[in-house]
Amino acid sequence: MIDFTFTEEQDLFRKAAREFAETMVAPRIQEMEESGEVSLDVVKALGEAEMMAITIPEEFGGLGLGYTARLIALEEVGRVSCAVAMMLQVFALGIEPIVKFGNNEQKKKYLPGLATGERLATVGVTEPTGGSDPTGGRTVYKKDGDDYIINGRKCFITNSHIADTITVLAKDDEDPKAFSTFIVEKGMAGFKPAHEEHKVGMKGCNTGWLIFEDCRVPKDNLLGVEGKGLRVAMSAIGDVGRGGMVGCSLGVLTACLEEALKFANERVLYGKPIIKLPAIQDKIAMMKLDLEAGRLLGYRASALQDQGARCDTEFAMAKYYTAEAAQRAAKMAADIHGGYGCMNEYAITRYLRDSFVLGPSAGTSDVMKVIIARSAM
Amino acid sequence: MAREIGPVWVFVEQCGGNVLPVSYELVGKGRELADELGTSLEAVLLGDSVTGLAGELFRGGVDRLYVGDDVLLKYYQPEMYVPMIVDLARERKPEIFLVGSTACGKELAPLVAARLKTGISAHCIDLALDGNRLLEQIIPAYGGLISIVCPEMRPQMATIAKGVFALPGPAGRHGTGELVELAVPQAEPMKTELLEVVYEEAAGLTLDSAATIVAGGAGAKDAAGWRMVEVLADELGAALGATRPPVDEGWIELDRMIGQSGKMVTPDFYIGVGLSGELQHMVGIVGAKLMVAINNDPKAPVFDQVDYGLVDDCQEFLPVLIAKIRQFKQGKTAA
Amino acid sequence: MNVRKIVVCVKAVPDPKRASEIRIDPRTKTLTRADVPLVINQLDRHAMEAALKLAGEVGAEVTAISMGPPPAAAVLKECLAMGAGRAVLLSDRSFAGADAYATAYTLAKGIEVDGMPDLVVCGMSSSDGSTEWVAPELSVFLDCPVVTGVIGLEATGNAGLKVSARLDNGYRVVKVNGGPVVLAVTRELNTPRNISFSGIIKARKKEVAIWNLERLGIAAAAVGQDGSPTIISGMRVAESTRKVQMIEGTREAKAEELVRLLAAAGVL
Repeated sequence: MIDFTFTEEQDLFRKAAREFAETMVAPRIQEMEESGEVSLDVVKALGEAEMMAITIPEEFGGLGLGYTARLIALEEVGRVSCAVAMMLQVFALGIEPIVKFGNNEQKKKYLPGLATGERLATVGVTEPTGGSDPTGGRTVYKKDGDDYIINGRKCFITNSHIADTITVLAKDDEDPKAFSTFIVEKGMAGFKPAHEEHKVGMKGCNTGWLIFEDCRVPKDNLLGVEGKGLRVAMSAIGDVGRGGMVGCSLGVLTACLEEALKFANERVLYGKPIIKLPAIQDKIAMMKLDLEAGRLLGYRASALQDQGARCDTEFAMAKYYTAEAAQRAAKMAADIHGGYGCMNEYAITRYLRDSFVLGPSAGTSDVMKVIIARSAM
Repeated sequence: MAREIGPVWVFVEQCGGNVLPVSYELVGKGRELADELGTSLEAVLLGDSVTGLAGELFRGGVDRLYVGDDVLLKYYQPEMYVPMIVDLARERKPEIFLVGSTACGKELAPLVAARLKTGISAHCIDLALDGNRLLEQIIPAYGGLISIVCPEMRPQMATIAKGVFALPGPAGRHGTGELVELAVPQAEPMKTELLEVVYEEAAGLTLDSAATIVAGGAGAKDAAGWRMVEVLADELGAALGATRPPVDEGWIELDRMIGQSGKMVTPDFYIGVGLSGELQHMVGIVGAKLMVAINNDPKAPVFDQVDYGLVDDCQEFLPVLIAKIRQFKQGKTAA
Repeated sequence: MNVRKIVVCVKAVPDPKRASEIRIDPRTKTLTRADVPLVINQLDRHAMEAALKLAGEVGAEVTAISMGPPPAAAVLKECLAMGAGRAVLLSDRSFAGADAYATAYTLAKGIEVDGMPDLVVCGMSSSDGSTEWVAPELSVFLDCPVVTGVIGLEATGNAGLKVSARLDNGYRVVKVNGGPVVLAVTRELNTPRNISFSGIIKARKKEVAIWNLERLGIAAAAVGQDGSPTIISGMRVAESTRKVQMIEGTREAKAEELVRLLAAAGVL
């Protein structure tokens, strides 16, 4: 039986997330847009609102709510601020490998702090050679007594400068086919974040490089089995990362539709609001259609994910569709705004810039098509 | 069989030994209603050293004044005031009982009504007698006006804000009246104890006596837009008022709200900025001499209720208007 | 005064953002039907916050109670997620059409059946009715004192509650020596908490009890429209006596014309 309705409890989660976003995030947007910096107030508020705890099991201080609840939260936060949704989605991305592959000691050590926001997480996979195919990465580790030594650099890392706990993928410097994943902590000798990027959008979400120069990591920080790290990165990160981008994209899409409707209802041309014009209605209809289609794809994937079923193709399709749709919606909503769509005072310009960043994050649309095609072939 | 009609009652509220203007206004309206019903107008006044206020109230048209004059009654305390009024009402069986929509009146009136098992309407903007000689209590709601009546129970009670009715004219045929002193109950231990009353000066120009008022609504859009409304008021030396949404947004204090559940004001010049013209607001400003509205929606109901209308987005228009005002003032100074 | 049990009265109201969709039809003089969703009355969230904060300080239990149609249960579920321990919805077809008096009576009976609390907290008014009468009338039916316009609330141990309440030109400070007492709170009192995810999870174990007329043991004639002393006798569309003149032209020209008007009226 297919039930396309949210439960009463899920409706309450949405309400709670929306209230949080409107009261705690919205007032900080201007400051984030102007400075381009992470708002520590927002980070603190995210922690207090248990936003990082959603996917962490209850026994480790989390809420154990699963992926549909996470998608709801991301969609609502993304509707208000795509930058904050992006930051939040990557926290979960850094958390997921520990939940899925961590041993009990690692879970006990890291998860409770990550659940409260006392510790912030990210994941280090992408390198200048690319992120969707991490086998091309050049970051290497070698065993040194009881420790591992990591050398290399990671780029385009969201939360690079604020994260305390970083899940890093590296390859065996003697065996190019063997990858391992390590938990690197802020302050470890030989590790430092570097070069903060200036993105066109998602201002208030930090992106930068991670540098490892003879970074010594104790063996207790090896995540999963040595040599099997690619699985850690691909299975945990792939679905959670793309699922997170679906949330960010749906948020932007919703915001574009709402902003376009508001403007079209207020703006008067030829003696009546422009919403009466068929050309405008066509755009509104397309946005609404994309939103509904995107949500169906996204929540179907998250429902599978909650069941523990395979959902990589489903998330690839949802990520492709929603990111493309958000970019289309931002363009259409900006067009509806006419000249105002070029003015920074109007939120639509922020959505336009943010929608640009949705494209490559967690894999470009072209990479998504490769994944989708592979499943069809 | 015609029922004998009881008196019309007005609760006279005093503060620091002065009768509140709203109470005088209700005396005026009460006189009209009493005449129309062919009954008398009675008023209840509680306070400390307030008997001297009787003359004025008689001149306003009161036939009989019940005065409770005691140091215990200096401030409104429900446990003192309410039983006295309820006991007297049970004895006198008033037909109608009008109370000012003040902080104290709004607490006292429903307490009295519930004890008398009667109905009460809130913040009426007009009162009239209908075909059945019932008190028609008119309040704005749902974009129009609704009439409320209380067919069975007595008294028919209503609260009315300051400014809805005019002050009574010069004394008519009821030059003097009868003064009845009320026995003040012995002070008993009360469940609530009034520790202190603190009076505060209102910040900014007060709405009550302002000659010019600028009122803003949801069309200000955000805090920055609201700031422009504030600047406009500053430039015009006007008092600043608002509809409900800016209050809910926290841009302005509740005591700046104009309308049915806020203040009733009568400036010479009113400018409504970014407000749609919901009746709940407009009833508070109908008495203004000249009214201008600025709103981006040409179909907004406000344009049916003002003298001058101007269609524009307030965030875009206000900076231009403010610049023109400054330019005008500079020109005047120079000349 | 020991505060062990607090009752909060809440109301499910049409979403104020969309309330203007419910209007008087100029032709039929009846209300237009609009599918406006019910939400918790904003001031009642301040009441919930006051109750939860005090309950946290003195270790009391909070019960949320509402009178309304079955969909109002969702609003009570929100109260449970905010932190109320229990919730009761008074719902019966016979409750429909109640004015403030009949509403207060029904709520009072519900509160009595549940067991008298030490404190009842209400929002000062509701966005759809805005009479401000329910709290004072409730206090009459519960035979206890009331303080309306509450802007400050402080538990002073055995000495009772210290309550500050708004006056037109200042405020009063009232000491409540013993419960029960009804407080009607304003938005000045506090900032309501957001619903938390863990609050929603905790609310899984809590049910909204639904009580009908029979459960309250009262007569149908005392509730709803039959129990209401006031009735709506008519509706009409307001007409204005003013005839509007539109100021037109470019933005600059409109501003200049308005400045001219202001100068002519002596404002400038």
